[in-house]
Amino acid sequence: MAAPLVLVVLAAVTVRAALFRSSLAAFIAERVEVASPLNAWKRVVEGLALLDLGVSPYSGAIFHETPLIIYLFHFLIEYAELVFMVTDVLTAVALYLAIQDFNKVVFKKQKLLIELDKYAPDVAELVQTPMEMHYIPLKVALFYLLNPFSVMSCVAKSTCAINNSVIAFFILATIKGSAFLSAVFLALATYQSLYPLTLFAPALLYLLQRQFIPIKLKSKSFWLYTMQYASLYLCSLVVIICLSFFLLNSWDFIPSVYGFILSVPDLTPNIGLFWYFFAEMFEHFSLFFVCVFQINVFFYTIPLAIKLKEHPVFFMFVQIAIISIFKSYPTVGDVALYMAFLPVWSHLYRFLRNIFILSCVLIFCSFLFPVLWHLWIYAGSANSNFYYAITLTFNIGQILLISDYFYAFLRREYYLTHGLHLTRQDGTEAMLVLK
Amino acid sequence: MELQDQAEQFFRSGHTNNWAVLVCTSRFWFNYRHVANTLSVYRSVKRLGIPDSHIVLMLADDMACNPRNPKPATVFSHKNMELNVYGDDVEVDYRSYEVTVENFLRVLTGRIPPSTPRSKRLLSDDRSNILIYMTGHGGNGFLKFQDSEEITNVELADAFEQMWQKRRYNELLFIIDTCQGASMYERFYSPNIMALASSQVGEDSLSHQPDLGIGVHLMDRYTFYVLEFLEEIHPASQTNMNDLFQVCPKSLCVSTPGHRTDLFQRDPQNVLITDFFGSVRKVEITTETIALDRDPAAFESKFPEDELATEPLKYAEQLPVAQIIHQKPKQKDWHPPGGFILGLWALIIMVFFKTYGIKHMKHVF
Repeated sequence: MAAPLVLVVLAAVTVRAALFRSSLAAFIAERVEVASPLNAWKRVVEGLALLDLGVSPYSGAIFHETPLIIYLFHFLIEYAELVFMVTDVLTAVALYLAIQDFNKVVFKKQKLLIELDKYAPDVAELVQTPMEMHYIPLKVALFYLLNPFSVMSCVAKSTCAINNSVIAFFILATIKGSAFLSAVFLALATYQSLYPLTLFAPALLYLLQRQFIPIKLKSKSFWLYTMQYASLYLCSLVVIICLSFFLLNSWDFIPSVYGFILSVPDLTPNIGLFWYFFAEMFEHFSLFFVCVFQINVFFYTIPLAIKLKEHPVFFMFVQIAIISIFKSYPTVGDVALYMAFLPVWSHLYRFLRNIFILSCVLIFCSFLFPVLWHLWIYAGSANSNFYYAITLTFNIGQILLISDYFYAFLRREYYLTHGLHLTRQDGTEAMLVLK
Repeated sequence: MELQDQAEQFFRSGHTNNWAVLVCTSRFWFNYRHVANTLSVYRSVKRLGIPDSHIVLMLADDMACNPRNPKPATVFSHKNMELNVYGDDVEVDYRSYEVTVENFLRVLTGRIPPSTPRSKRLLSDDRSNILIYMTGHGGNGFLKFQDSEEITNVELADAFEQMWQKRRYNELLFIIDTCQGASMYERFYSPNIMALASSQVGEDSLSHQPDLGIGVHLMDRYTFYVLEFLEEIHPASQTNMNDLFQVCPKSLCVSTPGHRTDLFQRDPQNVLITDFFGSVRKVEITTETIALDRDPAAFESKFPEDELATEPLKYAEQLPVAQIIHQKPKQKDWHPPGGFILGLWALIIMVFFKTYGIKHMKHVF
């Protein structure tokens, strides 16, 4: 499987290099859908220039990257394009290896459940076979590398690519079962953008499953392992934050990075839901609604953990999607990350109900973003409501996509245990509904 | 010997030409007195010899042709309409809305677009004595222009510093007649500036007399008494600055006038009024040659030698452009502290070994 992967990587690198050399690179780098105040390349360059002039980069409201990114780019700023291409390749390779391992785990679990007679007799067509699972890792790498969203994000040199890569390594470490590495990478991801904190739950569930520790609230080994993992995670987070203090000898980066993410002061339009709402809100209410919106991101973790505790990797997928929809400054790079996982659930295709209309919505909205931006900002014949409408539609499309996959997944699980042909009590055919 | 004494008089002060910048910053009919103030100073200055080409007169509003003026084409400075300071030979260089902070600062610093006519420029050089008179409404640290913007004392001080660095004046006399006027000269830091103000910080400058025929106050007190003082000056007067400081005591002016001479090199005793208010050219023809040696006492510098340019600069050297444009600032690069790099790599190596175990080391090596 290495050769096709290498081919895919080469193709992706060629596409990116071609775009870097073309005139589109400058155009893409300015687009608000690709570069947000948190991860724009322009701001990284500005921060490093300020540092060369002897001023702390956090002194203005421009630079919101973490000190480790400063350190990374201080030495690599001339090779920036190469760095981002390598980052994308690393992400794809990490996802490839992770999904490969995951497939083995899925297959083993399936075999165990079949031997234990947990499956209904007529579900042979639902069971995944190694044949069809063989190409999934390659498809995942392909989906990530050749996704127009991730190509644009790489060409714009948005540091979202670095965040994606850290999350991909976290997923790899989790699936391989190494609690320590997974905690370290999760701490790095949380350190960079606050939201991967919610991925703690699926990672914990997966590791517990791997260690065969039952997830009961009274079980002592459950709490012991949870404490271990939590302490590993928190310790690495604290260590990384303290280390960042020593870069500039100040704690300025905490309000500039985390304060900025949480309090959303910059209302530049992006593909998210925050900007329009807060642009038209009175000052009086903004604190309350900021809290509500931020809680919204973290809110789904516990219910999903309860529902999906047997399927932590799917939980991780849904959680990543929720982060990239509801985070304060989303970009298309975040969308590219969870879309890379879609081939893993390709066996759910027969249960997806709205996939055609949703894919149409997502594709059309992606094309309409620059059009309506042009109409609003340059031509002046539209206004922010148009762009906001497309933002809303895009996010609704994403949310419906995720809930569709959620529905399809649960439906398949139900069918696996209860048989394909469900009947109601009076014998007529029944239909599963997600309540 | 007498001739030598007389000839030495030429070098008593270092200036060879005089300029005046007279600014009235208020508009509206009830600020008639500010226009009258400025025009009165204009008249005196012209009478004492400064020609129109060397006067930049900025009036923010037109009182003479104001529809509320019962005597059109006149501006009176004395009640009972004794003295018309407008006349028919007044040359206003910046009129009405052209009197802005930006234009004022551009006039002072000389940073004017090339299309500006000569009458609107302050073409002074390093041997010019400049009189700057400002009047209007002011407060602690600012002066209001046109009811919509203001100039601060810091900006004014910086503008004067620019003038000094560009060698645009030899000595400068700054007179301001506004409320809390002394605050405007507090921030000056350039050499050779003498400043007078009509009131101290916290005091208001008051107007003099209303004229019941015109219906407004015609002059401000401080300027009124300064003008009375100037009426006695003629081009050959030997009256010095100390007398000007005594003008308008508190009993007459209600506010306390202030002055500042610490930046000025010469003793105010030795500074003639006509050094600033007039353009005195004394030409005497003599057939004898006179040997002159400079009197060191008259030029005792208050500042250390290295702060001032001791030799007169040639015109081309006035702004060393060549030096400035070829000088690049030294790039001081920032490097991350050693402790940070050490800590980071130590952590990375620790994580690496924790995951892969020390026992794999022998495979690596």
